[in-house]
Amino acid sequence: MKRHLPESELARDERFRRNKIEDQIFDPRNIAMSTRDLGPAQMAVDRPAISERSRSLMHGIFVGEIQALEGAGRTCYDFDDADAPFALKLDMARQCWDESRHVEISCKLAEHMGSDIGEYGESTFLYAAACNPDPVMRLCGVNRALEGLAIDVFSSMKAFGESTQDPILTYCEDWMLADEVTHVKMGSDWLRRLTDTDPDRRERALEFQRTVDKVFSLGGFRGESEENPIQITRRFRELAGFSTEECDELAEIAAQAMEDARTMVAAAAAAS
Amino acid sequence: MSTARAPFAPWDRRELPGIFGVEETARRIGNYRWTEMRLFEALGGWVATIPELDVKMVLGRHCYHHAWHAELWTKRLPELREMNVERMTQPANDEMVAFVKALTEPEAPELTIEKLVGVYRVLIPRTIAAYTYHLNGTSAITDSPTQRSLSHALQDEFEGWRDGEMLLQSLIDAPDKVERAIRRQGELEALITAAGGITGPGSIGSQPAPEEATV
Repeated sequence: MKRHLPESELARDERFRRNKIEDQIFDPRNIAMSTRDLGPAQMAVDRPAISERSRSLMHGIFVGEIQALEGAGRTCYDFDDADAPFALKLDMARQCWDESRHVEISCKLAEHMGSDIGEYGESTFLYAAACNPDPVMRLCGVNRALEGLAIDVFSSMKAFGESTQDPILTYCEDWMLADEVTHVKMGSDWLRRLTDTDPDRRERALEFQRTVDKVFSLGGFRGESEENPIQITRRFRELAGFSTEECDELAEIAAQAMEDARTMVAAAAAAS
Repeated sequence: MSTARAPFAPWDRRELPGIFGVEETARRIGNYRWTEMRLFEALGGWVATIPELDVKMVLGRHCYHHAWHAELWTKRLPELREMNVERMTQPANDEMVAFVKALTEPEAPELTIEKLVGVYRVLIPRTIAAYTYHLNGTSAITDSPTQRSLSHALQDEFEGWRDGEMLLQSLIDAPDKVERAIRRQGELEALITAAGGITGPGSIGSQPAPEEATV
């Protein structure tokens, strides 16, 4: 088996359909969507089409967990002990187990919410962030950026479960949230350890994290206003090793991503 | 008449000595650690190459179990006067290296049977055998810490073997797949037999010659 498996070679059964990120971003329906006033975007029971939205999000979580499992597994395999010490691989193996459980949980939750495997498409850009050839970059991109996003998503879904009085959803999201805080903390700890004597490498890794954070803010998907479906969860991020300044920076990145998306949509509308 | 109790209770049948000295124990544990590391790395790497969702999730779980076994051996080695864990973490011999290379070779998504046969019908049974031999042969008094780790690891190995075997039985559902599984097992059995098992010749002891055998 070769090291470093590209995202195009991820193995799936026939139920899965892969989407390209650029197709989602440049979907012409986005223009029409942007002109509709749907009120606050947060996950709430009175939001239009909330049932469909929550099922779609749950399916996204499901495929995201599969890719997180695959990414952690590849980090166990892709590096020599010199590049990734045993203790780091042990943490990644532990993360494999955790992500396996998350796949199981989200699969059952999707069914609970009336969805099914393959009902929605799969974008593999989460795994793409796990393909970086530098293990420190991977940890920043996956454990700090993406698992950090998972903290935000699970917190929002847990709140949604509480607001809809769904004890199954609330219970499961709470457990997954606990694991994600651990994973982000792993990333924060390893970033410090592996770059202790190499500040340039640390800065490159943090820059990669900012890039991934911006991509995953998805033009307003995440932020701190009521226009963002997913809310940044500062308390759990701080438990996982984020400083207040880092949380502030993430909020700025998310706000910028939303502004960029508005500009793009306006430009597209003007051109059409 | 003294009422002092005997130092060992009547049901305590632990004996001295065991059949392994400190150095031999460290050598075997170094081989165990090397093997468990190669196994958890491969299981982690394979997760992305396997399309069957149930298999993918089981390998994710087992990946950690074997990494944890490697961690058990990482902690035990320095207690055996071998302070350099990395130096002691070695394959039993070149044949064992060749076996692991062949074991981890399959990559294509249609080769799930080949991947699982290697792990669950060849390597795990050999690991269970070697661990059991060690568990039964070492002294429960002098080497109790190793026994305890072996017991924990064996519990996982048995459960992992059962998970893997059941997955295989569900995947092998046609004559051509039976052939594939048999062929793969034969290829790998030849290699690990040449290695003598995961700790080399004597992995599970050796049978005495007929004239040496006593009743």
